[in-house]
Amino acid sequence: MEETVNFMRLLSEESTHSTLSSDSCEYYQTEIFDQLPSIQASRPEQNRHGSLGGCGGSEPGQRLSHDHLSRGPRDKTSVQPLRNLPMCIQAKRSARDRRKMQISNIGFWESWRRSQSISRRRVWAQMGETLSGLLPWRHTLHVIEGRFGVGVKSYFVFLRYLVHLNLLHCALISGFILGPTTFYGRSNNSEPLRFGDNDSVLDFFLGSGYLDRSPVFFGFYTRGSLDLPCLNTPLLYLAGILTILLLSLIMVVRRTTVGYKHTWMLGKRYSMNVSFKIFCGWDFTIQDPDGAALKRSFIRNDLKLFLEEQSFSLRAAQRTLGQKVRLYLLRFILNLLVLSLLGGAFYLIYFSTKTSLYEKEHYWLLSLVLQYLPPMTITFVNLVLPHIFRKISSFEDYSFTTQVNATLVRSIFLKLASLGIYLFFLTTTKQQQSPFQCSENKFGREMYKLCIFNFLATFCNAFLLNYPRKLLQEKYPTSLLTRLLGKQRFLVPFNVLDLVYGQTVGWVGVYYCPLLPLIGTVTLVATFYIKKFSVLRCCVAEQRMFRAATSSVLFHLMLLLGLVMAAVTLGFNLYQPGTTPDENMFSCGPFRNGETLFNVTGLCVDSLPGAAQTTVRYLASEAFALPLILAEIIILTSYLSRRRANQKAIERLKDMLVMSSSDKRFLVKQHATMLRRGKNVNRVRSAEDTPPIHWKDPPPCI
Amino acid sequence: MGTTASQLGKDVLSEYQELTFLTKQEILLAHKRFSELLSKEERDRPDTRVPMEKILTLPELKSNPFRQRICQVFSTSDRKDGSLTFEDFLDLLSAFSDSATLEIKSHYAFRIFDFDDDGTLDTGDLEKLVNCLTGETDETRLTTDEMRQLINNILEESDIDKDGTVNLSEFQHVISRSPDFVSSFKIVL
Repeated sequence: MEETVNFMRLLSEESTHSTLSSDSCEYYQTEIFDQLPSIQASRPEQNRHGSLGGCGGSEPGQRLSHDHLSRGPRDKTSVQPLRNLPMCIQAKRSARDRRKMQISNIGFWESWRRSQSISRRRVWAQMGETLSGLLPWRHTLHVIEGRFGVGVKSYFVFLRYLVHLNLLHCALISGFILGPTTFYGRSNNSEPLRFGDNDSVLDFFLGSGYLDRSPVFFGFYTRGSLDLPCLNTPLLYLAGILTILLLSLIMVVRRTTVGYKHTWMLGKRYSMNVSFKIFCGWDFTIQDPDGAALKRSFIRNDLKLFLEEQSFSLRAAQRTLGQKVRLYLLRFILNLLVLSLLGGAFYLIYFSTKTSLYEKEHYWLLSLVLQYLPPMTITFVNLVLPHIFRKISSFEDYSFTTQVNATLVRSIFLKLASLGIYLFFLTTTKQQQSPFQCSENKFGREMYKLCIFNFLATFCNAFLLNYPRKLLQEKYPTSLLTRLLGKQRFLVPFNVLDLVYGQTVGWVGVYYCPLLPLIGTVTLVATFYIKKFSVLRCCVAEQRMFRAATSSVLFHLMLLLGLVMAAVTLGFNLYQPGTTPDENMFSCGPFRNGETLFNVTGLCVDSLPGAAQTTVRYLASEAFALPLILAEIIILTSYLSRRRANQKAIERLKDMLVMSSSDKRFLVKQHATMLRRGKNVNRVRSAEDTPPIHWKDPPPCI
Repeated sequence: MGTTASQLGKDVLSEYQELTFLTKQEILLAHKRFSELLSKEERDRPDTRVPMEKILTLPELKSNPFRQRICQVFSTSDRKDGSLTFEDFLDLLSAFSDSATLEIKSHYAFRIFDFDDDGTLDTGDLEKLVNCLTGETDETRLTTDEMRQLINNILEESDIDKDGTVNLSEFQHVISRSPDFVSSFKIVL
């Protein structure tokens, strides 16, 4: 494998060098080159222009090739809509007239079918248009894209996607959970919900008191009058939550695979990096002159970076053994440092969780602070450590991209792991709480607090940190502090990480706090406006712009990680042994009086008719798992082998392409030399008697 | 057909909708913006050509390094001066619209990047392209060594048949792998 690659490279170098020399010029300037079918097929319009305007006299050769060619594309283009043809409107009109004639030739039925398909397509297009018109914030996105490029826009698109996801969750929640509860009532002994005397506004932050009794939390939903074995409130509740998680999984996986497909194609196997930077480098949506200048400098920096990295890898390959040992030692020590920092952060979170859980009655402000201690710690840790990681990775002597990626990966790990650690401590220390308190509500309350605090942090970050900093910069542009702080940039990955974190909290909490998607929607919409403000008002565009496609894969991968984490936490919580037999444990929510998820579903299955019951039991048993795994293995194997076959075909086709191209080049050259020889003969002859008629002069070689 | 009459007729409008990727609103907006570039008496005449200099004052094109090439590619003028009629203008907007296909976009991108109109991107074209991207002035330009290294890299990657230039199908092959291209090759009024 390695050898063939080397061989290819060698071959390519040789051929580029040979063509860069003088004979390439001959090749492209020869007359016959323009008449080659492959060249003509690639520019039908230029051809048309040529025959319409410039050279009126159509030579037999050209007509021949034209006729020869027109058979191929016309078959293909006759089914394409006219707008898909790369020609000017006038040419499209004549193409349409041609088509109309064709249609009149082919009879009534066929023409009716074609016009039907055209109108159907139009209706679809119109429907798609109106649907896309419903997408909110198009104008804002356009403005942001114009000033900051595709990368920052992709953050906002991701944000909008999350809003849609949460709206969908809200619809599901109201269908499965809120609807039955309002229609079939709660259990008869419940008192009406009222804002009591000993409730305070603080409850909205703490999720206690008034909110504790409200439909925000799990405890509100009790078993109502809807009480069939297979259609009751607990089952609906469970079905709602499971649908949400499954649907999110499907949606996120779909988006991830779409993105991954793109990145995979972008990947190392085809190594098209520089070509992309050049051919797809310019962002035509940029209107702002400053933005254009910035984009230019960005492209320049990016190219220089690439060239530098090429030479960096060359240098890295030449490192001596001693240097290597020293470097690896340094990296090892730095990684130890990172690990110890992470460990410290996790201990801090553990400590704060413990203090917060065992807090006694205090003055209200202190108690508020104590209640919010874990979210505060998590946010603080996540605010500070990524910057330290960035500093650390600059010492490791990686190439620049690796540095950025290393920082990002460490930050992702920190963020999600800190949440995971917090959840873990929360679930394991749950047993020691006071009775007569709904333990699920307690867990939901923690999630509620995390969600609220995340939003508060966004808010404060924008209005108490970024905006004053910007004002300071505007007022005193030369002061030392301003220069020390530097310009503010919108760091896309870290902001996305915030969103992912929030969504993960939402998923974990949705079982205990069913209104969390609604709260999430509201906070996300507010976040959109806050971020819009802080981007447009406070930030300058980044030097190193994020590539949209690669980043969106990363975003969705992070989201997927969050979802997996949420599912694991939920499963762990639900399956936790030892919660059910506890008699004196205060139970609440739809599963009450010793009922659990398992015996509720079991009752439902028992009530089914015989055949269905055995089917369900078979589906749940191990006997079903084995064929399932086997089928998956077979499918996977077939896909793998198909992939391998395709890969071989690609290699062979490439070889054929190189061969046929060199054949073509050889023939064209041969033709040119024959032409020249013929001309010389003619010239000799013409010196004797008549001027030449048959041969045109070949265009001069520049 | 009264193409550049002060008001677009209904049949003309629906014809444009059929022949381009633009919606009705976009065509009307384009017509409004195009009419603003014309003087009063020119507006009533059909098929008026707007010279390239005027087109380039549009804010959507003003800061684009390829603006002159764009005009030249979409112009149907016989004099090759880059002047546009309204229909040429619609062609331009159609190719750069949201709903245009990747094939159309890559085709026009290739023609825009093909500075000498010879049907292939050779080293000269690539050099001009890179200079357009990085900026034309001396301090922004890449050095000759860097340029050579870069162009060798490009040809190494995308010149599949190894003939020293990038032709349309090779170009489309590269572009079709870039999901970013469709979203960035876009000019919306």
